[in-house]
Amino acid sequence: MALGFAIGVFGVLILFHAAYSTIQYRGLLKITEEEFSGPPFNVVIELSLGLVLCMWAALTVPGKFLSIHPDSEENRIVSLPANLDFMIFNHRGKVFPVEMDLKLKH
Amino acid sequence: MAVSSQEKKSSNGVNELLTFNAENMQNNMKIIYYSRTFLSIIGGVVAGILGFTGLKGFIFYLLLMAVTSVVLVAKAKFSIQTYFDSWNRVLLDGFLGGLMSFVLFWTFAYDIVHIF
Repeated sequence: MALGFAIGVFGVLILFHAAYSTIQYRGLLKITEEEFSGPPFNVVIELSLGLVLCMWAALTVPGKFLSIHPDSEENRIVSLPANLDFMIFNHRGKVFPVEMDLKLKH
Repeated sequence: MAVSSQEKKSSNGVNELLTFNAENMQNNMKIIYYSRTFLSIIGGVVAGILGFTGLKGFIFYLLLMAVTSVVLVAKAKFSIQTYFDSWNRVLLDGFLGGLMSFVLFWTFAYDIVHIF
């Protein structure tokens, strides 16, 4: 995850460098009194590279997807970390209908 | 909080699961939200630097969100059933909130690069 974070920071730095290059390019265009039609080609390449790096960072940094099936392998046991006397097991008994009129046997 | 994480959700045609783990579902939604917001901000900065104005910027945002959706589905290894309960969540969630962040950073970057 630290690698993804570093790649994200690197992508943002590339974007800042591209912004600075474009500012300088516009200053140059003001001197020669031309119209701004688009940033120079290498700035476009730099922006796409920064975008790809940031996209990769946006996928790896927030974390992995966790399965929502109760019967997948990593969801079978839910245990409180503080107290191992109370553990919850996921099994199919949950879908049985609840019998509401149980009578006490005496 | 960990004790009450198994909640019953009745099926109503969208998902076939009778119960699912709501805490992991929230975790997955949080990941999608963070990814989309960050990419909207980055897309806004790129659109501002490239000098897009008007409709071209919004088309760029739509393209960016489409690519983000494809990449998120690839991250879920193309089996949405394992991680979410419906397709709408992974494809459409966070779209409008991301749009506002996109426009904010788009105008911000455009002003810095092209006007000042």
